[in-house]
Amino acid sequence: MNEFLAPILHDIGLMARPALFNLYFAVASIPLGFLFAIFFALGKASPNRLISGFCRGYIYAFRGSPFFIQLFMFYSLALAFNLSLWKPWGIDWFVLNPLVLGPVILTLNTTAYTAEIFYGALMTVPKGEIEAARAYGMSGAQQFRSVIWPHLIRLAWPAYTNEVVFLFHATALIYFTLPVIGDQKDLMNIAGELFERDYNAVLHFSVAALYFLAISLAIFLVFGIVYRRLTRHMPGASRVRWSFSRL
Amino acid sequence: MNKLILAAAAAALAMLASGANAQAVRIATEGAYAPWNFLDEAGKPAGLDVDVGTEACKRAALDCTFQVNAWDSIIPNLVAGNYDVIIAGMSVTDERKASIDFTDEYFPPDPARYMVRAGTVLDFDNLSGKNIGVQGGTIHAAYATEHFGASNTVKSFDNADQALADLNAGNVDVILADGNYITEVVAGSGGALEKVGPELVIGGGVAMGLRKADDELEGKLNAALAEMKKDGTLDALIIKWFPDKVGPIYAGG
Amino acid sequence: MLDFLPQWMKDGIGDDLLFWLGYFTNGKHLSWYASVQYTLAAALFGALVALLLGLGGAAARNSRFLPLRALGALYINIVRGVPDVLFFLFFPLAFEQLVEWIRAQSVCTPETLAANVGRWPPCDAANWFLGTPEYLALACVSLGIVYGAFAANVIHGAMNAVPRGQLEAARAYGFSATQVLWRFHIRQMWVYALPGLSNVWLLLVKATSLLSLLQIADIVLWADRLGSPNFTRSAGLVHPDWRWGYYLVLLVFYILITFISEKVFAAITRWASRGMATAGGAAA
Repeated sequence: MNEFLAPILHDIGLMARPALFNLYFAVASIPLGFLFAIFFALGKASPNRLISGFCRGYIYAFRGSPFFIQLFMFYSLALAFNLSLWKPWGIDWFVLNPLVLGPVILTLNTTAYTAEIFYGALMTVPKGEIEAARAYGMSGAQQFRSVIWPHLIRLAWPAYTNEVVFLFHATALIYFTLPVIGDQKDLMNIAGELFERDYNAVLHFSVAALYFLAISLAIFLVFGIVYRRLTRHMPGASRVRWSFSRL
Repeated sequence: MNKLILAAAAAALAMLASGANAQAVRIATEGAYAPWNFLDEAGKPAGLDVDVGTEACKRAALDCTFQVNAWDSIIPNLVAGNYDVIIAGMSVTDERKASIDFTDEYFPPDPARYMVRAGTVLDFDNLSGKNIGVQGGTIHAAYATEHFGASNTVKSFDNADQALADLNAGNVDVILADGNYITEVVAGSGGALEKVGPELVIGGGVAMGLRKADDELEGKLNAALAEMKKDGTLDALIIKWFPDKVGPIYAGG
Repeated sequence: MLDFLPQWMKDGIGDDLLFWLGYFTNGKHLSWYASVQYTLAAALFGALVALLLGLGGAAARNSRFLPLRALGALYINIVRGVPDVLFFLFFPLAFEQLVEWIRAQSVCTPETLAANVGRWPPCDAANWFLGTPEYLALACVSLGIVYGAFAANVIHGAMNAVPRGQLEAARAYGFSATQVLWRFHIRQMWVYALPGLSNVWLLLVKATSLLSLLQIADIVLWADRLGSPNFTRSAGLVHPDWRWGYYLVLLVFYILITFISEKVFAAITRWASRGMATAGGAAA
């Protein structure tokens, strides 16, 4: 083993387990965030002023403020209700566990970003298609399932892919704010600890960055495959591009 | 920003000018560990650490300024040269001695204690299934992980105030920390918190930390501390911030 | 703090309200309000660096010289592939070490180097002191580098969105390549880039919440210190955990900045698209 590669491989080994924590935070918050986003997107487009106002406000507040501060605020807020709610209900060990609370706050955040993406796509569904579906006598749910949703998800998928990569990057902030339990440490914790031991910033931070890059690429790959399936019947469908702009 | 640059330039000039007669020394403290060190109502660092540092600097004819640095990076940033001295209620340990030097102590070794919400009963001989709160990177964190880590959950927080908030909110069952700190917090909690359990002797005395190469500065500060111990100034400062302490501690010795 | 008020006014306000008015204007709170300067400075200067690097990155990406093009693509993709907080912490550390390493080549003697083996800086004389102004400058540059990559991506896309016909027409009129680039290509690019740049600006503003990680006493650090519970009577007002209230203020602060930014960008877009044959220009 040569002198250049050995420390890099050593760091890669040390950071494999911490990387799982980042991955866990992302994976645990993607499904619920996706589901809630559909409701918030439909809510924002709702003709009911109260519902649309609420969804609009929620999306604006979470997209307009830093995730870092959302983490701080929701942790101390959850703490404030511990003695009055969580403890009497016997769920305090669950609610205040960083492995639960982290994904919960992440879900609140990604719901807003994803809902905005879905809302944007929803606005482009051709009116004619919906009218045609209505003319066939489809119910609201049927219209959504067979006309609106397929159109929406195909259009939103590239932007949603970017959002998932951003969400994965946002997991790096969780342990800057939530308490660290035992050896449940993520990539940023380990990179910082290793740096404080030998001051080799370039080595440790680069390897951590390598993990983030590799997993980001894997996300693009997997989501790209899904996109090709979504658009396989469409002529000249384009591929998901490495575009990375959080919408 | 312009003002900021001007202020920085002015500060630099002032430092150059004062450098002629007094050595400029930058001191880091944490500012979240009352009454050792905290940010007072005026927003300035205060507490025993700040008083001891200010008095020692005066006697050693040093031009000292205090700055705040997070606990978890306070030693690395000293070693990296972002300030010259740490005065932050830091206990002398062999592990820390491996990377930095310490002056003579300005606070004697003192047992660590446990703190719980009033009414909590714990069996300290067989502690299990409990949430133990500590400040990360302290001797207490190391002790708790080693002795209770196997059968309890050790939660480390960035600073003592955050651990206290979690204890108060019932998210940790017990905090292990410096005994004098706990005495002060319990006294101010209006009966909400209690000091309980055995006394644990886990650290050395409390001292100022310096870079290993700064022997000259270390000598000056040690001389000042010796003087303060002898004439009772240090005892008075300790009792000012920790009224439960009974003198003489260092005076006359 | 409020001693300057006349007695009749104090009587009118009442003791309770007077106490809280005094508390929220004590030195600790004033320091909190004043620390907004770091957040705003980091946002504005970070955005300036980001814009410059964005233009540079896009120019490199569009270059006809292959290595430059590859460099542009590498910058844009690698920086955006890692979390901003990682780069934000890494860059100041790495830059400090680089400066100290360069300095060490000239100021360190073999003896001082030998005495410091295994530690950093290489020798004490090579040490570069980083205080708040230095950290703030480094924070601006790291924000600039990270969001410059995003801006480069946006500008690269916008350059390609400018109708080819416009540039061909300009060339046909005998304008030189440089003139075409600056007077037509870049001039028209802004309209297409503005929505994207507005997005990048909002991301950058939100990233300024990370300043406390570089030991800058910013709004987040003061909110934590003010809200944390205090049971030590000698350390000021004894109070339980008030942190979420202080963080809520920060949340509202950032939402307001977002709101104002959107209004400003909308105005700039209207101004930039006057006379342009786009939907926005036609509507205006």
